[in-house]
Order: sequence, then structure tokens, then C-alpha cells
Amino acid sequence: MNAQPDLLRGLTEEQVERVLALGMRTSVASGTDLFSLGGNAECVYLISRGRIRLTLPMKVRGSDEDVLVEERCAGQTIGWSALTPPHRFTLKATAPLDAEVICLPRKKLHEYFAAHPAVGVTVALNLAAVVGERLQLFQTMWLREIQRTIELTCA
Amino acid sequence: MEMLLMGACLAILGVAVACAAFGAATRAEQRPPAVQPERAPVITPEATRFFAEDVMLPVAGRAAYARHADPSEASIALLIARIENHIRLEQAAAESFVEMPTASMLHSKTTSTFIN
Repeated sequence: MNAQPDLLRGLTEEQVERVLALGMRTSVASGTDLFSLGGNAECVYLISRGRIRLTLPMKVRGSDEDVLVEERCAGQTIGWSALTPPHRFTLKATAPLDAEVICLPRKKLHEYFAAHPAVGVTVALNLAAVVGERLQLFQTMWLREIQRTIELTCA
Repeated sequence: MEMLLMGACLAILGVAVACAAFGAATRAEQRPPAVQPERAPVITPEATRFFAEDVMLPVAGRAAYARHADPSEASIALLIARIENHIRLEQAAAESFVEMPTASMLHSKTTSTFIN
């Protein structure tokens, strides 16, 4: 991972290395699921190589299909449900091509943040930015959809 | 004298026969033109410069398309590809709005074929 991961932005190189040392690099083979919808969110993942598709199940002409919601790439964080209650994944993550992620276990992160509150604050702010960005995007997409519904119903 | 006249007549006759034969050989055939079946004009489209000739399916769409040999299932794969393309465009539009929040940006149109 060349650039600093979005979750660790603002930390010194030493702090980044220490946080990353809490995790484990894991390869995700092409077509493999990283986590499933509703699964226990024990780890937050930093994508170090490749892309991860985040999907939701939809009924398409009576058939259950996983439809893309978002696609995240190297340097971005996925699985932040691990850091926010109720710690259940709200999307399914799949690697369309071979990818690599760093799994950071929630328990280890909490222990480290308790011992290093300054790092915890920075990571918490970064997490808020990641979540806030997602919220803004989805709020906008939802508003656009409502506008279309209004145009269709009132036409 | 008679012999001379006979020779001259034969020579004239020979020249006339030769002219007739030459004319017949070199005359263009004047047959009525055969009726040709009408052909539709062939228009060769110019190669596009900027856009792909075929629709590029997203990964899921391609995988689903390859997985489903059944035409109805293949049509589902194509539909999913259109939905995913629509979601990508909507996300891009939403990102533009978040960058510069204005009312016109919020309701800007995309090129999505899923809703248009």
C-alpha cells in the first residue's frame, strides 16, 4: 500500500506501522467473499491491493442477485461495521480480481486505542469521515430517487 | 479487257466481303440490358473514434452472462449490468453534488439507460 490508508490519515509513519502491526495481511482470491451480509463484524479491513465489490441482494425478475452498491480500492477502508454497533456487516464484500487486505481485529484496536488515546481520536475522526462520506453520498442518491418518483407520480 | 474488268470486280467484291466481315466482328452488341435485381446500398459505418463498439459489461454482468447459457438468465445478467451501470452513474452524480452542492447539481441528469 503506497498511500496512507484513509483510516490512518494524520498519523505519523511510526503510528501507522504500529496500528498495521495489529493486523494481518490476507489474500482474497478472485471471486471469493471477504465477508457476508449480516455476518459478525470482528475485523475492519484496509484494502492494500486490488478492488473489493460491496453488494446487496436484490430480486431481479424473481431471481436473487447480488447487485453492486459500491466498489472500493487500495487505501480505502471497508467493514467499518466492526467499529460501530451492532457489529454486523450490512453489505457483502467480494473480490472481483485477486486482492489483498489488512484485517484489523476490533478487540486489538480497542486495546491499542485505550493505551494510545491520541491515535484513537485520530482514527475515530477518520472513521467519522469515511462514514460521513458514505452518508452524504447515499442521502444524495436517495434524494435523486425521490425526485424521480415525484416526477413519475405527478406527471 | 474483259479479264481486267473481271479482276477489278472480284477485287471490289473481296474488299466488300472483307469490310462486311470486319464490321460484323467489331460491332458492339446491342442487346437490351438484362434486368438486374436491385441491391440495397451497402453502407459501411465509419469506425468510432471515442467509444467502444460493444457495451462493456461490468464484472458481475460478464460473469453472470457467462454463467447463464439460458437466454432468460442472460437477459437477467444484462439487466443487472444496466442496474450496476445506473448505480455507478448515480454515485458519480452524488459525488459531484457533494463536491459542489447546488440544486441543479442535485437533480442533474445522467446517461443511464435504466431510467431514460
